[in-house]
Amino acid sequence: MEISYNWLRELTDVSLPPRELAERLTMAGLAVDAVREAGEDFVLEFDLTSNRPDCLSHLGIAREAAALAGVGVRLPELTAKNVAGRAEEFTSVEIEDARLCPRYAARVVRGVKVAPSPEWLARRLQAIGQRPINNVADITNFVLHELGQPLHAFDLAKLTERRIVVRRARAGERIRTLDGAERELDTQMLVIADAARAVAVAGVMGGEETEISVATTDVLVESAYFDPQSVRRTSKALGLQTDASYRFERGVDYEGVRRAQDRSVALICEIAGGAATVDAIDVYPRRIEPPVVHLRPSRVEELTGLQVPAGESARILESLGFTPVAAGDDAEGKLFFSAPTWRTDVSIEEDLVEEVARLVGYEKIGESLPPSPVTGEYLAGDRRRRAARQVLTACGLSEAVNISFIDESNEGRFELLPGLQRVEGEGAFVKLSNPVVEGARLMRPTLLPGLLDSVRHNFNRGTRSVRLFETGRVFASSAEGDETASGEVETASDDIGKTAAGEGGGRPNEVEAFALVLTGEALEEGRAGGRELDFFDLKGALEAATDAMRVGELQFAPAAVRHLREGQSARILFGGAEVGALGRLDEDLAAAYKFRQPVYVAEVNLGALLAAGERPVRYAPLPRFPSVVRDVSLLAPRRAAFSEMRRAILSLGLEECRGVSLVDVYEGANVPEGKRSLTLRVEYRADDRTLRDEEVDSMHARVVAALEDKFGAQLRG
Amino acid sequence: MSSEVAGYRAQADSIREAFERKFERFARFLNKRINGENVVDVTEFNLSLEEAQAELRALSDLETWYVGRKSQLSALKKLIGKVSPEERSGFGQYLLLTQIAGTDKIAEVESNLQSYIWKKRSERERVDVTLPGRRPRRGHLHPITQLRQRIEDIFVSMGYAVEDGPEVETDFYNFTALNIPELHPARSPQDTFYTTGGLSLRSQTSTVQVHAMQRRRPPLRVIAPGRVFRRDTPDATHNPMFFQVEGLLVERGVQMGHLKGTLSEFVRRLFGAGTRTRFRPSYFPFTEPSMEADYSCFKCNGAGCRLCKGSGWIELGGSGMVHPNVLRAARINPDEFSGFAFGLGIDRMCGLMYELDDIRLLFENDVRFLEQF
Repeated sequence: MEISYNWLRELTDVSLPPRELAERLTMAGLAVDAVREAGEDFVLEFDLTSNRPDCLSHLGIAREAAALAGVGVRLPELTAKNVAGRAEEFTSVEIEDARLCPRYAARVVRGVKVAPSPEWLARRLQAIGQRPINNVADITNFVLHELGQPLHAFDLAKLTERRIVVRRARAGERIRTLDGAERELDTQMLVIADAARAVAVAGVMGGEETEISVATTDVLVESAYFDPQSVRRTSKALGLQTDASYRFERGVDYEGVRRAQDRSVALICEIAGGAATVDAIDVYPRRIEPPVVHLRPSRVEELTGLQVPAGESARILESLGFTPVAAGDDAEGKLFFSAPTWRTDVSIEEDLVEEVARLVGYEKIGESLPPSPVTGEYLAGDRRRRAARQVLTACGLSEAVNISFIDESNEGRFELLPGLQRVEGEGAFVKLSNPVVEGARLMRPTLLPGLLDSVRHNFNRGTRSVRLFETGRVFASSAEGDETASGEVETASDDIGKTAAGEGGGRPNEVEAFALVLTGEALEEGRAGGRELDFFDLKGALEAATDAMRVGELQFAPAAVRHLREGQSARILFGGAEVGALGRLDEDLAAAYKFRQPVYVAEVNLGALLAAGERPVRYAPLPRFPSVVRDVSLLAPRRAAFSEMRRAILSLGLEECRGVSLVDVYEGANVPEGKRSLTLRVEYRADDRTLRDEEVDSMHARVVAALEDKFGAQLRG
Repeated sequence: MSSEVAGYRAQADSIREAFERKFERFARFLNKRINGENVVDVTEFNLSLEEAQAELRALSDLETWYVGRKSQLSALKKLIGKVSPEERSGFGQYLLLTQIAGTDKIAEVESNLQSYIWKKRSERERVDVTLPGRRPRRGHLHPITQLRQRIEDIFVSMGYAVEDGPEVETDFYNFTALNIPELHPARSPQDTFYTTGGLSLRSQTSTVQVHAMQRRRPPLRVIAPGRVFRRDTPDATHNPMFFQVEGLLVERGVQMGHLKGTLSEFVRRLFGAGTRTRFRPSYFPFTEPSMEADYSCFKCNGAGCRLCKGSGWIELGGSGMVHPNVLRAARINPDEFSGFAFGLGIDRMCGLMYELDDIRLLFENDVRFLEQF
């Protein structure tokens, strides 16, 4: 909103220069974004908070400035020069819906001459970015910006039967508004009508047919108070926001209705000539009473730390227009104030405390830290989350953050984390009813589509090696028919996943997930042409992360997974329970994304891993005797799993057999179809002596025999 | 001198002469005496590494021939004991001198050849130390995570507990409990995302305020970082999802001075000890009195620059004393406890700190972008 400094000075004696005034107002809560020089004037650009509609005018700002400077406010001339007749002789007003229109005043000026505005008036309007039209229209606009009350001028002669009916629009009723648009109204909208039809959308915009024109001689000036919510609804439904609707929907001063009308009528008489009626028809069936609010003077210090004597608080409030109200016998030291009729934002004691504090100045509030009766703590599991992130970045993965809603077409393409989906069919997932990006309606039940979009984004920009991880919540409906958004139930659980399990007032199941994606080459800084990443880079990164979180050992079971390619996919098990899946992206999905190189993805239930607790650190004394290693090279069927071989060796019951590791695996030339060559290294060690060669030989022979027996492996030379 | 000894000496002399002849090929590896100083310039040797190593081996063979256990000179030494006592010392002395005359030269050549060989070998094994180090390309934490962790660290050290709440919320937590009236524009489907089941995506982390107050009773201090959602069409300065951190403190006797002190301490820890703050009255439904906090621009230190749009100040976020209706929603008596709350935009701060020209970059996950942090 723009305010002219010169105009402001007509309403108050504030003598602060414009920039200083702007600074003072800003620090009192009326933010001035900029001060602009405009000829001999200055324009202050305000960015006001929504609770202060009373400041949407020069009078409103003048009140604040005057209170800050300790000076008074001067109201403009309100008396019409030339009066004749009573309003009821020329028109009538009937309010059919007093809830939507608590007050309506009509006053008539007869014999006006519509013409361009005088220069001073045009200049005032131009200074604040308004375009002059004609004297009558400009005067109503001028008064809106001067006093904050929107007005409307009708050509009285064009009102059927010359009367006003304030009613709801009829079904299908139409009106051509001043902007030339034909608008269809609905029955919830309030209109100003004459005997026959709607002539204005109440509080929003007038109609073209009753508009002031050069032919107009008699003017009906409307000044009213409309229900703010009704105006907001109408304005929104019509997609039509005006200076008038902006003010009405925030609330105007219901006691300022007549003042603004008188002001405009006085100006019309002065500028456009004519004679005003002596009075107005003012339909105001139920007087609106401003709230009376109490203030315990000690509350100011309790809430702000400012020591303000009771008398000073009262003086500040009175300077802002609050009226002291006599306290009853049970007042207990409370002061009572009736709020100014323009201050629709004030209703409780804390509001008065803020008024006192902002006028004293927030900068006067002394800073200190609150004494600390409590200790800090991180979110449960956060140390472990951070450790995992650290390790993953060390492994070359960068952290991605994707938007939480994804395209609906992703539904059904991915296998979800076990246990996430609780409901089948329609309603299984959380969907937005009002997405802002076309198609992005699904609250993601998996992190993978987002990560794959990120991969595609990078591919499209010429980056072919992409390694990303993401943590975030995935969503699915919690339980069938559990859509009662009652709300006030609270669960005492730290686990968001659990919170949603049926006790969160219909909230969905929110599970913390963790996902990885890898594709392209293993890169080294400053070097190009690295090895192609494969399944084992993915698995290794995942294991490194879970190890950093001190999660116990994960198992990987080969399995068919919907979004993964057969033969390169596995379910991830932890403590016997399935916690996710990993592998190479399925060909169909890869084709849908137009990926022409292998992409590896993993997703696990991070909440479940963290919930399982931390693997404890247990010190084991360092071995006192050396270990002996023996390698065994085998030709084994391809389907014989390494993990099975390892388990077979370790379960032989050889106390001194300490571990099995992989030296090499080879398939291809010189290896028969269906077989592969494996070299394993077995470590032997005793706690109480150095093993003799013969001992190791005999143990190792059993190991080799077991591998041959169980897996049909042949020893290689 | 007995003829016997004289004969031995003559034998020694002829061994030495033979040595001198054999040594001739090594003579060029000896030091030169220039102006009374021993000088050697190994670069003049002009041998390959392998040739030098062969020379060294030949030298070693010569040493063995001359003074080895089976050498003629050693055989002569064995005769020392057989010489008459009066001649023994002189003869011994003579043999020793003969031996030293050779071994000194051998030692000198050996040392010179050895250093030549080291030089050659070093040359051959020289590396280009400017080649890239063998450094696996590391990944990078998302800038939002980095900033969030810093913020968490600061507040945890100030006694706050990190809290979290659901992202899909009920009306009660998203609006009603926060004193946002029934017909407030923030509730409209223009501004807030709704699910088909009638829930909303939380439009501010303030939702966690009431959860936290229900979960922990006062005195309490919590911060709640997380995702929030508003129906903004994505553009250079908007995303329909962003990150906030909410702060809430409810204790006895808390007032605005504590809020100011807390936010000032926070920005000093985040942006440096010299950072100043400014507090302006403002309006939020869930606080009363409310205030907007600004901090002095970290780029121009308050002088005014493009980043702070010339004002010298950057908006930190909204804050205020918890509205009594919000305390009541969590069944806390506003006459017994007071509290303050604040909300900071992590993305916005991130955008300013790194001067991002397009905030959408934050969620595109372009590797070239992520690797800069």
